[in-house]
Amino acid sequence: MLIPRKVAHRKQHHPRRKGMAKGGTKVHFGEYGIQALEHAYVTNRQIEAARIAMTRHIKRGGKIWINIFPDRPLTKKPAETRMGSGKGSPEWWVANVKPGRVMFEMTYPNEAVAREALRRAIHKLPMKCRIVSREGSEF
Amino acid sequence: MSEEIKLVVQQRTEFGKGAARRARRAGKIPAVLYGHGTEPKHLSLPAIEFARVIREHGRNAVLTLDIEGDKPQLALTKSIQVHPLKNYIEHVDLQVLQRGERVEVNVPVVLTGDPAPGGLVLQELDVLSIEVDALNIPEELTVDLEDAPVGTTITAADVTLPKGAQLVTDAESVVVVVNEAPTAEAMEGETAAEQPAEEAGEAKEEASE
Repeated sequence: MLIPRKVAHRKQHHPRRKGMAKGGTKVHFGEYGIQALEHAYVTNRQIEAARIAMTRHIKRGGKIWINIFPDRPLTKKPAETRMGSGKGSPEWWVANVKPGRVMFEMTYPNEAVAREALRRAIHKLPMKCRIVSREGSEF
Repeated sequence: MSEEIKLVVQQRTEFGKGAARRARRAGKIPAVLYGHGTEPKHLSLPAIEFARVIREHGRNAVLTLDIEGDKPQLALTKSIQVHPLKNYIEHVDLQVLQRGERVEVNVPVVLTGDPAPGGLVLQELDVLSIEVDALNIPEELTVDLEDAPVGTTITAADVTLPKGAQLVTDAESVVVVVNEAPTAEAMEGETAAEQPAEEAGEAKEEASE
């Protein structure tokens, strides 16, 4: 599972998510990609689940790129705990994804199989997404 | 080869995001024309026509701008801002061109043909930067991969350039490689091992105690 090796601060604030992706909005490495249409915190478990869904479907002969990294810790207080006594402990590692961001890319010789693999991966992600291709990215 | 394409454009008289949004609603694209020490001109381009030109002739199309109340001007698209989701053009930067001038442009690399069975094509560079005569910019550079065996590496120096063009990208940069397609086991084992994240400051604090 993806997790940072070292972080400057173990617990972070939880600011409001807003705005659009500033970069990484086109397919650069592969032929097809998954583009986010909404804001979301994507956990490392979701990223891994999406990756496994894709690799299990294409089996061999393709390549997958993951363009996001879960570098943001989210904390949680234990159940049935009174308020106070400090911030909870880190529970999840998430990537802050903004609309427009291409999160996964893939190259595979057969387009139909590649699109089905990406469709399966989208079901593992917490926001609305769409499949984009390198050729179709021009207006 | 790039052709000259005529585009009738207007000078913009109002600026700012409100005016830009009004222009976009009216089917125009806010643009700016600059270069060769001239005063920047704020223009509005016809959105549908400009998008068609880019689609058909590529981003390096040489435009002949018919500016209202001014003399015609040759221009090259320098940058295009596109909305990340809705995929429409938000703003365009145009560069003033002079006949006979050499310009540095990014030309897309297009792959043709299928490699030998068992190979996986990885395109490392989408565009190559070349210096060429402004009126002879190629729309694309083609790389033929027909029956290329596994292990083939094509560098920027191997790509055939049109006559008079000079490569600006590092000649040793890899453009395309044909790798062996990974097996199912290799793809499954890609996951990084889970390691707990440690706080950078923690180790120092412990040492000082």
